[in-house]
Amino acid sequence: MGETVGKLIGLNDEVIIPTASLAMEAHNSPSKPFLMKKIKIRHDHLSVVVLAFRGSMLPNDWFGQPPFGERKFRSLTSLNDGGDAVINGSFFQRFNTVLDQSSLVKEVKKAIAKEKQVIFSGYSSAGPIAILATLYFLENPEPNQILPPRCLTFGSPLFGDRIFGHALRREGWSDYFTHFVMKYDIIPRIMLSPSSTEHEQILNYFKSKFDGKNINPALPSGFYLTVMGNASSVASYEACHLMGCRNPSLDIIKSFIELSPYRPSGTYVFCTGNGNLVVVKNPNAVLQILIHCAELGESDTAEVEKRSLDEHSAYLSELKECLGIQAVVSLNGGPATATWNDLGLSPKAMLCLQSAEEFENGRSRNQDQIRKNKGKIEVELGKMRKYKENSEIRRVGYYDSFKLQNEDDDFHANVSRLELAGIWDEIEEMLKEFEVPDDFERKKEFIDIGTEYRRLVEPLDIANFYRHSKDKETGAYMIISKARPDRYLFIQRWLEHHEKKPFGSLSESCFWGEVEQLCIDIKKRGYLQQIEERIQQVERNLIAWIGDRSLDDDVLLENSTFVKWWRHLPPQHKSESDRIEKLIGERESCWSINQIRTGIIWHCDRTVT
Amino acid sequence: MKRRRMNQVPLFSSAGELANMLVTSNLIDAAWAKIPELQRGQSAFPSSVQTMVDHPTPNRTIVVFAPLPDSTQYPLPVGGDLVPYLDFDFLGTKECPSVSINRAALTIFESLKNHLSRLKTELNKREGQLIITGHSLGGSIASLFTLYLLSNMDKESKYRPICITFGSPLIGNFGLQHSHWNSFFLHLVSDKDPLPTLFLPSGRSATTSSHSQATAYKPFGTYLLCSELGCACFDDPDLILKFLTVASSEVGGGLLQVVDYGEILRNLKNRAICKGPQLAGERFAYPFSDGIVMELKTIGIDPAKHNIDTTRMEAEARTLAKKTKASDAKELNDIKKYMVMLEWYKKKSKEANKCYYDCFKNGDFQRDVRIEEFMGQLTTYWEDMVAQAERKPQKEGVSFRTGWFQSATTFRRMVEPLDIAIFYRDGGRDYINNGRSPLYKLLEKLYEEAAKNPTGEGPDSKNKKVSVLLTDDSCFWAHVEDAVLSCQSLNHANSTPEQRESSRKNLVKFGEYVMKQIENFAVSPEIFLEQSSFMKWWRMYEASIDAFGNFYTSPLVNFMKSHKYDCYGLPEEA
Repeated sequence: MGETVGKLIGLNDEVIIPTASLAMEAHNSPSKPFLMKKIKIRHDHLSVVVLAFRGSMLPNDWFGQPPFGERKFRSLTSLNDGGDAVINGSFFQRFNTVLDQSSLVKEVKKAIAKEKQVIFSGYSSAGPIAILATLYFLENPEPNQILPPRCLTFGSPLFGDRIFGHALRREGWSDYFTHFVMKYDIIPRIMLSPSSTEHEQILNYFKSKFDGKNINPALPSGFYLTVMGNASSVASYEACHLMGCRNPSLDIIKSFIELSPYRPSGTYVFCTGNGNLVVVKNPNAVLQILIHCAELGESDTAEVEKRSLDEHSAYLSELKECLGIQAVVSLNGGPATATWNDLGLSPKAMLCLQSAEEFENGRSRNQDQIRKNKGKIEVELGKMRKYKENSEIRRVGYYDSFKLQNEDDDFHANVSRLELAGIWDEIEEMLKEFEVPDDFERKKEFIDIGTEYRRLVEPLDIANFYRHSKDKETGAYMIISKARPDRYLFIQRWLEHHEKKPFGSLSESCFWGEVEQLCIDIKKRGYLQQIEERIQQVERNLIAWIGDRSLDDDVLLENSTFVKWWRHLPPQHKSESDRIEKLIGERESCWSINQIRTGIIWHCDRTVT
Repeated sequence: MKRRRMNQVPLFSSAGELANMLVTSNLIDAAWAKIPELQRGQSAFPSSVQTMVDHPTPNRTIVVFAPLPDSTQYPLPVGGDLVPYLDFDFLGTKECPSVSINRAALTIFESLKNHLSRLKTELNKREGQLIITGHSLGGSIASLFTLYLLSNMDKESKYRPICITFGSPLIGNFGLQHSHWNSFFLHLVSDKDPLPTLFLPSGRSATTSSHSQATAYKPFGTYLLCSELGCACFDDPDLILKFLTVASSEVGGGLLQVVDYGEILRNLKNRAICKGPQLAGERFAYPFSDGIVMELKTIGIDPAKHNIDTTRMEAEARTLAKKTKASDAKELNDIKKYMVMLEWYKKKSKEANKCYYDCFKNGDFQRDVRIEEFMGQLTTYWEDMVAQAERKPQKEGVSFRTGWFQSATTFRRMVEPLDIAIFYRDGGRDYINNGRSPLYKLLEKLYEEAAKNPTGEGPDSKNKKVSVLLTDDSCFWAHVEDAVLSCQSLNHANSTPEQRESSRKNLVKFGEYVMKQIENFAVSPEIFLEQSSFMKWWRMYEASIDAFGNFYTSPLVNFMKSHKYDCYGLPEEA
């Protein structure tokens, strides 16, 4: 086969055992929040520093708020309307304590400065701490960092929800996280079940075992059915989605049952128990394997139950054996027959895995389809640009021309607008349902064409909106309201995310909406203080956006809705009179120069003046 | 068996996974928990089915129905017939307009009605989850009570209901397959339980026939079908009937045994996390058919032996899979686009001083060919929407329609004149009786009903501008055409006096009709354009009035002769 675990996860094989060993040592370290160790690698000039965190088996450090102890996590969020990621609050709190009260940041910076690669690692409950530490340094990279920080966990409980994993994959960080899981280990599955007395039994068992007070504490029993039953419910729910279940009862049932929000993310390495390793990256496949490989066979429940506890302590010995043999199978290309016996999967599980694979294929197919549609989008955008130019020849901005709907061109532009809306609404629905690859929203090609679409066509949607006085039905066409089509909101967020700007800041395509709304509000309520602030905001935005060319200067045409409105404002309500008049003037003279020079209009360039 | 074509995307059947999710969640346990307790308790109602309400958590209410132990042990299959029940006619669909309910269930339901009606009022005040559950005949009552609640639910209702029954017989002749309500029902049935098949005509004595015998009873909701080996969820009524028939034949005649669903649930929970006897070998080449065969065998149905067409099931699943939110969004924008095209056509015609009706009838513009294509697309779309509404129970159909009602009316007013134009261009007569499609008739009927309905929003309350742009009565041009024909008949030398008299009467009626439309501002000002069919009619009519020296007068004649129409439709302040 030639593959090694190291190659598949992008690390040197030699770092795995020392990392696992340090992780297990650090988990029970009574004094320090983390341990640090340099690892020398043969034939490699780069040295590696491993940081391993202390764990805790106190139930409160696992489930602060029953049933699942979840909380919002602002750092990772969905760019469509999926909201913020959800993570386990108790682990998050423990990480924050380490961050605030230890020398973690200092030590890591020191290591990076010495051109060392940093690996954060955690065994059991320290796993999530390692994940958060890695994320912290991915979000706040050191300037001279050569390689990104890495994360290795061993028998870690699940920690983040679907959005968490989605955002990691979107950012391209998912591959930096590797989780080793034993076939029956109960701990990686425990978070799929709501906190219960069974959880406490399990944690207490490990606590007394790790404390060393009692090497052979009494085995809890009966927990396996509860934990795995709940976990199985989660897996089946996800499988229903993967398999395209169209039974409408699914949603109703879901609203009556409480499923754990946590889902796997990153790369998983399953230890099959007979020396083989299976590497899986597809998060849906990981979840299914996590449940199905630990299902009860024909053997005794009590036996499996005991094994599910024993295996949590067996990582080091198991990995030593596996890495010696290096019988590794990667499942990224889809389920491979050879692995089934190792993992002990049933035909049912096989179908689940095939559906997880097919789901990914479907997402790629959708992306391909969207790529194909780019041609169609380009054609329509080309027509729009032409429309815009033609309107300017008539010395009317295309915004105002469209609002009047007097010309044939206006009609054709409206057809193009609807054609484009159809294509983009389709994309938007796919995004909402996660039916395109996770990194779709970060792909430059889609951000670029989306942004062009948004800047060119959204003004027409606004023109249409105010032409039909729709504000009376739905309220203003504001940035975040029901009236504004989601497709624009999403595309705007892609760019804001790409440029690391706060959400809502790049709303230049809504410029006309605010102008129209101000006209209406002033008519209705006069110049209240709040309106005055909004006028000033519009003026500031105009200057900034014309400046960075995110807003086209056709808003400055002499008889545009904006210029007419702005000129009619009483002088005391304007704060940027001179600069805006100057811009209008420049636009005018530039227009005449071009008229004289070429006889036709081409894209006006302000530098000419 | 036909297999998937190579270029098709593989599909999967999730019947097993949905069932697995259900039995491993605690929802069904929670629904079952109180039933044995209720059966052991004192009877509080003079009825063979007892009921109680429980609040296990502040957010959850459970209403339980269970028969007295006696009736479980000796349920008398009397009252197996269906009786029409007017109170449930809100469930009627086009296919099944009158609803009938099983007599036994109805008798019990009626005997509890006073209590249930009070309970309904009380539940309406509550929020959160509402589980309505019942065992055997109690389950039938749970279903009836849930339907009763659903029929009265409105947007203000804050609770979310689900109905879960255990081993209940079928209750009625109505289906809910195309209704959102279908998703609120979950029925657990064991293949060992003879009760659910109690009222099926095939009965316990039937042999495994290749077709489930025709029955007036129809299952609705999702069925969680279980056997010793496992379970699967299906909502296909034919398949459910098949399962019931197969199960009842296997249980055999003899005594009815009591099936303990508590025990069945425990077994299924254990099975859910077991690998089963065999391990996976190869990948499945045909995941859907291979999967569904496995699922059916688990619940005791052999697709080959029991004549189940998995190819048909896959084809249906494929059709469903094609319809996604994304494809819906695309379709909606296409429909908008076609309407914009037609509006433009209308506008262009007006610029040429013509009605779009006349332009289209005379084929004035080159683009007319595409117009027929757009008409076709729009008509197909609306036919589909109307068909969807008709498959839903009446009550739900109404609220479904309110969402798109306005657009449908605009469609009718815009497109029907074009269909009328085609009809008369091709030499038709009397469009309203001979040419009008059922779609327009239905849309108009719905419009009239909505206009009468005082609670709902008036059909035109939102945008009064519409009436200025489009003529309210979409059959206006058909009336005009018929009036033209009447005029011709009146003037024709060969017409008999009877024909003339009849034509004259028709024309008087037409005049009154038009005048009423004008007074209500219900016609578009475009009809007065010089070259419109209406003006042609007027000139013809005017000539015939004058020619016969007939000083006939009417409000319309005055209106037209005095050119009052020049100011029609102009803004009042102008």
